[in-house]
Amino acid sequence: MIALAGPNLPHELLAAAGKHGGAIALGLDQPTPRAQQWLESKFAPHAFALVESWAAGAYDHLDAVLFSRADDTSQRLYYYLCELQRRGLLAGPRPLIFDVGKIPRTSSRDLTVAAVRRLAGELGVGDAALEAAIVAGNRARAGQPGGSPSGPVCLLHGTPPPDRRLHQVIEAAGFAASGLTMEELWLSPGPAVAEGTGDPAAALGTQLHARQQGARSFADPAAFIRQSVETAGASAVVLWRIEEDEAQTWQFPAEQRALAELGLPTLVLTRTDWQARDGAPAAIAEFLAGVAR
Amino acid sequence: MTTAANTAPPASVNQRSRKMLACTAEATAYQKAFGQELRRRVVEDREPYAIVQADTPHELFHAMDIPIVTNQWWSAYISAKQLSTRYFDKLVEAGYPANSCKYCSLGLACSVANESETAPWGGLPTPTVMVARLTCDCIQQVFGQWANLLGSEFFPMEAPAWTDKDPQWFAHSRDEWRRVYQPDRIAHMVAEMQDLIALLENRTGRKFDEGKFHHLMEQINVQEGYIWEAAQAIGKARPCPVSIAEQMPNTMIPQWHRGSDWAVAHAKKFRDEVLERIATGQGTSGNEKLRLMWIGAGVWHDPGFYQALEESLGAVFVWSMYMPFAGPAYIRELQGSPMEALASRVASMNETLHLPPWMNGWMVAEAQRCGIDACVLLLPPDNRLSQSGTKLTALALEDAGVPVLMIDADMVDAKIWDHDRMVGMVADFLREKGLAQ
Ligand code: SF4
Repeated sequence: MIALAGPNLPHELLAAAGKHGGAIALGLDQPTPRAQQWLESKFAPHAFALVESWAAGAYDHLDAVLFSRADDTSQRLYYYLCELQRRGLLAGPRPLIFDVGKIPRTSSRDLTVAAVRRLAGELGVGDAALEAAIVAGNRARAGQPGGSPSGPVCLLHGTPPPDRRLHQVIEAAGFAASGLTMEELWLSPGPAVAEGTGDPAAALGTQLHARQQGARSFADPAAFIRQSVETAGASAVVLWRIEEDEAQTWQFPAEQRALAELGLPTLVLTRTDWQARDGAPAAIAEFLAGVAR
Repeated sequence: MTTAANTAPPASVNQRSRKMLACTAEATAYQKAFGQELRRRVVEDREPYAIVQADTPHELFHAMDIPIVTNQWWSAYISAKQLSTRYFDKLVEAGYPANSCKYCSLGLACSVANESETAPWGGLPTPTVMVARLTCDCIQQVFGQWANLLGSEFFPMEAPAWTDKDPQWFAHSRDEWRRVYQPDRIAHMVAEMQDLIALLENRTGRKFDEGKFHHLMEQINVQEGYIWEAAQAIGKARPCPVSIAEQMPNTMIPQWHRGSDWAVAHAKKFRDEVLERIATGQGTSGNEKLRLMWIGAGVWHDPGFYQALEESLGAVFVWSMYMPFAGPAYIRELQGSPMEALASRVASMNETLHLPPWMNGWMVAEAQRCGIDACVLLLPPDNRLSQSGTKLTALALEDAGVPVLMIDADMVDAKIWDHDRMVGMVADFLREKGLAQ
């Protein structure tokens, strides 16, 4: 099986190969002494747990782990893990990287399509199998439970948290929580992939290249947050970004302007702890207690 | 192995470095005059110009005679005018969180501050285009927002995945570059450069001249060939003829102007001075006992740091990356394909300096080539790019028998730099490793 360790990865291709191993299990609460020997401080916090688990043999049952170039930590980890294996400091599954391009330009789309074809070749997936997986994926998307929740909704926007601990704080305050965790982001299939094109690799590559979520997305941040508010039907927003998030943190001013225009109650929490061991849960609870339901 | 140094008392007075080569002063003077000339072209004459990252294909602009302001050069210029704190504060006032990595964003901060009375040159006019290669997640945000602010256009370039990883890349970069840098990555970079050329032709009316570009690429090979030759000689010579504080400007200043007649002539002059000093047995120190390697950006606010232990311990910094990197990073047999050769350079500059296995593979080989006794490695806490690859490189050097001192200090922050404390730390490390009394 192949586990996923990043956003914007080709789910349909792994499904077609019968090798979709889900998101890699991180084991976030463990100490990470070995990982700290090898990784510098600017890696996202989950990287340390991933490398520590790798060193402990937790992924030995996997054939490979697929990293993504759509995220700095994910792509750097690929190079580090390859090197640690080359030097005999680690064993475990084979690290792979999916070379997704996000620049809105034809050459970047072509680069992504080529990456799909390359991985399809490696996994022995032909066009017919990939097309069938695309059709099945689209059917699964259509079958997702839709409809809006009955109560008020709070959008949790910004850095994807490790799990639903912040969602639970929101729910305890009487709001439905909207916003993906990191694992949900990695597993999110995105919009439907074009069917019946005669070139399923190109169809999948085109979808991956255009996807709007993730650290390297070229989506307009103001438009994206407005769209997220609208899709969720949110009446309040928590904009939450962790200390290590140095990419999308640049979007704060644009996002805050967009939220001010929408006139929604908003709580902005920056430079927070990814595992919410700081005051973020209490601040969210207090904020939502003051928001009319 | 890691030593914290950011709780230092107020910095002691920094020392100036001794300069021994005539060509060092010439290079510095040329760069100063160039700054004035660039200002004239960009600000007074309002020529079309571009703001570009250091790792983008400057050669295309040179071949089209379009002036460029390099982000890293512009940042250094702002810093030298003691304006970085002021502008970063303005960034925070404008709603940007203070935790953002600051390495590439000082130019944006200056534009956000929008203070024509304090900004160098009164601030930058609108560039025709802004170009950055997407090596970290943040750079597209920085350049995208900066371009919006200046009313310009952002031309991002991909940094494609590199799966064919040869730790000995530097041994084959000159003639086997198609294999080493991966044909599909080269082809992609060529496609992007062609798009960029089309954009520049369209916006500026200037034409890309293939012949001129080919000649420029050949001249760059000649120029970097001189630097490479001097670097090889420095590696073998005992004592080391030229300090790293002089290796750097004589490599980097011509590199900003690569392929120009001045740059080629200057590289030759530098090589000749180096060889002359070797031939006459002149060393940067009269007391060379230990040969040290410096990994990281230079501590340019305190260049005297590098020479501080020469007298007392005979410890001489003989290696920093700038000069020896010139050969493998720049020299390419053109093989009738100058655009592909350039693509192979642009597609690898950042990776080979900051990612395993290229960074550590090269640095271990360099330590061996230059007879290095110990290494001092800068680990800036707040700089993603400069951090990248450092821990695995330190491990690789130690495995190869080279002790490493990692200094946890932010290279751009002169405020926390303490000359005496830093010198003492290196001295203690050398004693601890049994390399000095
Ligand atoms: S080094 Fe990387 S993270 Fe830091 S400012 Fe530059 S592009 Fe951004």
